[in-house]
Amino acid sequence: MIQARNNPVPFILAIDTSCDETSVAVTQGCVALSNVVASQVQLHKEYGGVFPTVAKQAHKENIGPAVRAALQRAHLSWREIDLIAVTQGPGLAPALEVGIAYAKDLAKAHNKPLVPINHIEGHVLSPLVLPRTFKDLPSPLAANAAHDVLAVIVSGKHTDFIAVKKIGHYERLGWTIDDAAGEALDKVGRMLGLGYPAGPVLEEFAKKGDATALQFPLPMTTSGDYNLSFSGLKTFSRNKIEALSAGGLLTQTQIYDFSASFQKAIFRSICYKLNKILQDRKYTEVWLGGGVAANMKLRSMLRITLKPYGLKLRVPYSKKLCGDNAAMIGVVAGVQTIQPKSDLEREPRLKLV
Amino acid sequence: MQILEVKNSDRAQLLQKSCDILAQGGLVLFPTETTYGAGVDATNPEAVAKLLRFKSRREGKPLSIAVPYFAAAEPYAIMNPQAEELAQQFLPGPVTVVVKGKGAVAPGVESEFGTLGIRVPDYELLLELLQLYGKPITATSANGSGEKRPYSVSDILSGLSAQQSSLIDLILDAGELPHNPPSTVIDTTLSAPVTLRAGEIRFGENWSEVGKNAITLTSSSQEETQSIAKRLVLKNWDRLKEVGLVIGLDGALGAGKTIFAKGVAEFLQISETITSPTYNYIEEYEYVRHGVTGYLYHLDMWKVGSEIEFQRLEVTKLLRSKNCVVIEWFGVVEPFLQEFLEKNNVPLLRVTISELGNMRTLQILEPTLSKLQATAEMSAHNGEKVGK
Repeated sequence: MIQARNNPVPFILAIDTSCDETSVAVTQGCVALSNVVASQVQLHKEYGGVFPTVAKQAHKENIGPAVRAALQRAHLSWREIDLIAVTQGPGLAPALEVGIAYAKDLAKAHNKPLVPINHIEGHVLSPLVLPRTFKDLPSPLAANAAHDVLAVIVSGKHTDFIAVKKIGHYERLGWTIDDAAGEALDKVGRMLGLGYPAGPVLEEFAKKGDATALQFPLPMTTSGDYNLSFSGLKTFSRNKIEALSAGGLLTQTQIYDFSASFQKAIFRSICYKLNKILQDRKYTEVWLGGGVAANMKLRSMLRITLKPYGLKLRVPYSKKLCGDNAAMIGVVAGVQTIQPKSDLEREPRLKLV
Repeated sequence: MQILEVKNSDRAQLLQKSCDILAQGGLVLFPTETTYGAGVDATNPEAVAKLLRFKSRREGKPLSIAVPYFAAAEPYAIMNPQAEELAQQFLPGPVTVVVKGKGAVAPGVESEFGTLGIRVPDYELLLELLQLYGKPITATSANGSGEKRPYSVSDILSGLSAQQSSLIDLILDAGELPHNPPSTVIDTTLSAPVTLRAGEIRFGENWSEVGKNAITLTSSSQEETQSIAKRLVLKNWDRLKEVGLVIGLDGALGAGKTIFAKGVAEFLQISETITSPTYNYIEEYEYVRHGVTGYLYHLDMWKVGSEIEFQRLEVTKLLRSKNCVVIEWFGVVEPFLQEFLEKNNVPLLRVTISELGNMRTLQILEPTLSKLQATAEMSAHNGEKVGK
């Protein structure tokens, strides 16, 4: 018997295998009904990074169970799913491949349309994602009404300023020309001897240190654009650490202070360019996404930057939504009409604009 | 379950009782400088199994061991210089130092990759207990997995099922602890080099002969480094088209390896921004130069620790005609690649970048053509001054 669908908002099953998390979510509009993230972090820890062939194998093993868990947690069956959304890029080619191949098979087997999604657009729209308690409730923010928003994406792989004219219309205003912010934190953490991954340790230690203890330069002030560069801060750090360790092993206080000062230098550079953008252009809101978006210090520094402009900073509602996840991919598909494509191929270097 | 109030108990008796319970395979909850911890004898498999039941839902997450001083972990752990330094800097204190284990603790304590966390708590009572017990005990927070952080005995008990509570043998109650965050975990098991010394030139043994012929250029700006890169690739363009080209880059963090790679990309007329490939190991860019289409692969080997890891990256598959493979931290993988390059006659351009004040020196070792040709080309290049 065919059940009449009384719900006009489609249910979407979304898949993201762009890097080291196998994620599957079920979303409806902006609401995440489930968001399963099978992390490979432990696996890759052995390699100190995301290892392409290992990632591929792990995605293959995780994706089936993740799809089942996502449906189960959303209390839905395949019959009720209207659409499949899958990350096409950017990301790690062998990893993307697994998600796309699986999504194609699912689309065929269950006769559902398949839409390709840009992973970065997922991060851009991640602050729009709502928890499942909002199911059947009107959304507090009409996604379609969002216009002239500035999105700041900060992660281990990306550091981007993206203007959102409206949903689906983007302009990349600035980006890092060398390391991503999260990557720079990680590398300097390693120089301080904080193991691997050192980024999270540096973040922890920054809380205990004096951020004014060391003066770092502010890079790219004369570049005349909105781009960022962290390689100079890296070199500066190396020289500074060398100089400090000439007097013997760094002390706890020195490490805490270095962590706090360096983290501040990175964030200050982001805030500086953000301020430049806001001086030149008008926005209604600023959105923050990406793994480093979970950092409270970054959030507070951004809020201070936004204050004179009377702008609100909108952040993802949970830490899980900051990192790679499929709910944000489902929401990208849920807030606009995207042309289905059954023969899509991975695009590891896909650009948003 | 017994609860002893630390401040109203005789210290010696309390410590002795705790030791007796641990020795019998019991579970003791104790205060630390972070949260309340759950301890069993880390060398007793049954005791550890009991702890794992208490914690529930561990999903393979490793435990750590608590010892009275860092060196006391030596029978169980393979120490390394970075770990020793961290111990000197941070221990005792709220830091867990992860090293490779010797498999000498009970199953479930080490991670599935054989790593072991070591903790020297900055809490007198616990240090005394560890000293007296003489064996490591597990160091994990006293809550069930996913429950709130336990800063008081009531915090602990409110989050537990009756079944979990029944596993506890003794609680050392020191009242409400200051709400310090859990310990910071520092993993030192990755063997990748953390090079602070700049500009150490390490050509492999087989290169020492040719190494004498290396040319040194200086660069005073990023643009200059890039122009050197472009000219070097141009010199090797024909061979790149025929068999491909490997560019091996070395130099400390921030020395300018990625800047050099940007120059290569510019030569290949790639308009995209070349960013550091550290995270994914390999970045792929398609190029079209004068009708020749190929790929630039930009690799970072900083994190590669062993030959097996390197083999798994399948780098040799990238080495074919029209492809340019730029490898940062080449020295790390040179021994694994050398034989392949020689056998397949893939040209290798070796560049080591060092800092010299605000300048950079680039030590360049070009692909050997025939020996005669190489000598001629190099001496020609040697006399050349690089201008802006």
